[in-house]
Amino acid sequence: MPDRNSPPVIAVRNLQRTYRKDGGETPVLLGITLEVRRGEFVAITGASGSGKSTLLNLLGLLDQPDGGTYLLDGADVSQADDDARSLLRSRHIGFVFQQFHLMERATALDNVMLPLQYVAEEPPDGEARARAALETVGLGHRLTHLPGELSGGEQQRVAIARALINDPSLLLADEPTGNLDARSGAEVMTLLRSLKAAGRTIVLVTHNPDLAAQADRVLMLRDGRLDPRDAG
Amino acid sequence: MLRARRHWRQARLSLRLLAAHRLRTALSAAGLVSGVAMVIVMVALGRGAERRVVERVRALGTDLLVVSAATAPRIAGRVRQVATTTLLRPGDAAAVLEEVPRARAAAAAVHRTLVVRADSRNTTVAVTGTTPEGLRIRGISAVRGRVHDGDEERERRRVAVLGPVLAGTLFGAEDPIGREVRIGNTPFAVIGVASPRGVDPGGADLDNAVTIPLGTALRRVVNVPYVDALYVQGRGTSELEALEQEVRAMLKERHRVREGGPEPYAVQNQAVILRTERAAARALDQLTVSVAALAVLVGGIGILAVMLISVRERTREIGLRRALGARRGDIRAQFVTEAVLLAMAGGAGGVAAGVLVTLLGAALSSWTPVIPWGAAAASVAASALLGLAVGTIPAARAARLEPVAALRDA
Repeated sequence: MPDRNSPPVIAVRNLQRTYRKDGGETPVLLGITLEVRRGEFVAITGASGSGKSTLLNLLGLLDQPDGGTYLLDGADVSQADDDARSLLRSRHIGFVFQQFHLMERATALDNVMLPLQYVAEEPPDGEARARAALETVGLGHRLTHLPGELSGGEQQRVAIARALINDPSLLLADEPTGNLDARSGAEVMTLLRSLKAAGRTIVLVTHNPDLAAQADRVLMLRDGRLDPRDAG
Repeated sequence: MLRARRHWRQARLSLRLLAAHRLRTALSAAGLVSGVAMVIVMVALGRGAERRVVERVRALGTDLLVVSAATAPRIAGRVRQVATTTLLRPGDAAAVLEEVPRARAAAAAVHRTLVVRADSRNTTVAVTGTTPEGLRIRGISAVRGRVHDGDEERERRRVAVLGPVLAGTLFGAEDPIGREVRIGNTPFAVIGVASPRGVDPGGADLDNAVTIPLGTALRRVVNVPYVDALYVQGRGTSELEALEQEVRAMLKERHRVREGGPEPYAVQNQAVILRTERAAARALDQLTVSVAALAVLVGGIGILAVMLISVRERTREIGLRRALGARRGDIRAQFVTEAVLLAMAGGAGGVAAGVLVTLLGAALSSWTPVIPWGAAAASVAASALLGLAVGTIPAARAARLEPVAALRDA
């Protein structure tokens, strides 16, 4: 159940982003306001070019907004510099990508442990945690496999375990089933729902309305704004 | 502890990556490997040459002064005899021994280059006339037969000791003892064959020579009353400078050399020669180092090229690491570390190759190998620095990448 007492994981007010290139300006996000409470599973959807990826990059602190405020876990991060954002990403955000982005030459276990390199204080029980994370996603028997030896669905589950290793406040999934067949995709969605059930806060970005429908709440992006009809 | 483990895990991953691109890694390091190998071999050769020079000079004795009856200017660091003088006499040797307490032994000698004949064979060699004392000072002893003694010296007997090379030239495998040789036009009886002495620092073969009594040489061969050289042996290398001063002063007085005027003889100090020869061998070292620096620089370019390619190829990995929380500095450190690892591997490979070539060369030729471990350690250290230097460029490029763009990279 969404927690009503602690501050929202994401509190965004009038967030704007404009791309400048060759002297021209392309406004992509025109003023996004949204809130995601702890334990919520929110889907952001919209046609391609609607600004989904841009919003995801801003929420994931991979990019900096041109205007508006962003409170992550109650702290204003809209003006954080590159190093500060890096540190915040390591602590607060777990990414799941469409292309998995696993290191080809590292075992599942080493892949899952990769984020431990970038937190300020590496936990002493890193390997145990990585094992536990792989157990959670149902890959306890694949610890020493290389990505090439795993199916697509298994690879994405390794990536989810990697996203969980630092116990982030927010799981950001960008078209997590986009490179998977229907069955593996369904498995990944089931996994995400079970994580939500265990208390994880998840933001899913997808163009697929069927996937979006599996979230608690669906936000529709249209031409750089959230459609007021479903703004929660 | 944790930090160390984290670095170790990253290094392991980097090494696995380098290993995966085996051919490319090898090619990129090849320049450095060959550069460092060249350095090792050249330094080894230089050290070997230096050691041989030192051994040669030592073989002649580092407690020795040679007074030459010639003004002897140094041209390009080497003594060139220009004009001989007639000042030195056989009696000077005895006088030196008497008046200079630091002198332990002294002998006079004459040198000529003459034709030596035996039956139908003849050759031109260095002829030395000196006393039994002179033989002892110069370390000339007989490996077969004997050397001449005091009686033969006094009686000016026509006896000769052949150097081993000359003995071979004139008599081949036959025994030369008791045979006759003609030095110039004078017949001599061969009484001995000298033990091998090698080559002197000036490059002259000391074994292609013949030695006869001094008196015989003066009276029957060169027919002059003056000698070409005085050998003066001191009591040790450390006293050689003082000995030189005393001998110079004594000769100046004895021969009434004008104060402040040029001395009509030159004094060679073996300790000085040793120093000079060693410096010459060292000069080669400096050349080596310059060539090495160039070779290593070229090696660095190879590593730079491969690291730049690597950054391009691993754009998505960089994006991923950034997304996982890597700061620009972490990315920079990672690529610099990889460049340093690559360069050090290249340096170590070069050392291994250089040592191998040196040992192989030594095994195929006669000289004893001198492995320059100092240069080897310096090479690996220099390689690491090189990696650090060339690694900064690709590392900066990697760190500059924007995470969003890097993740999108196809």
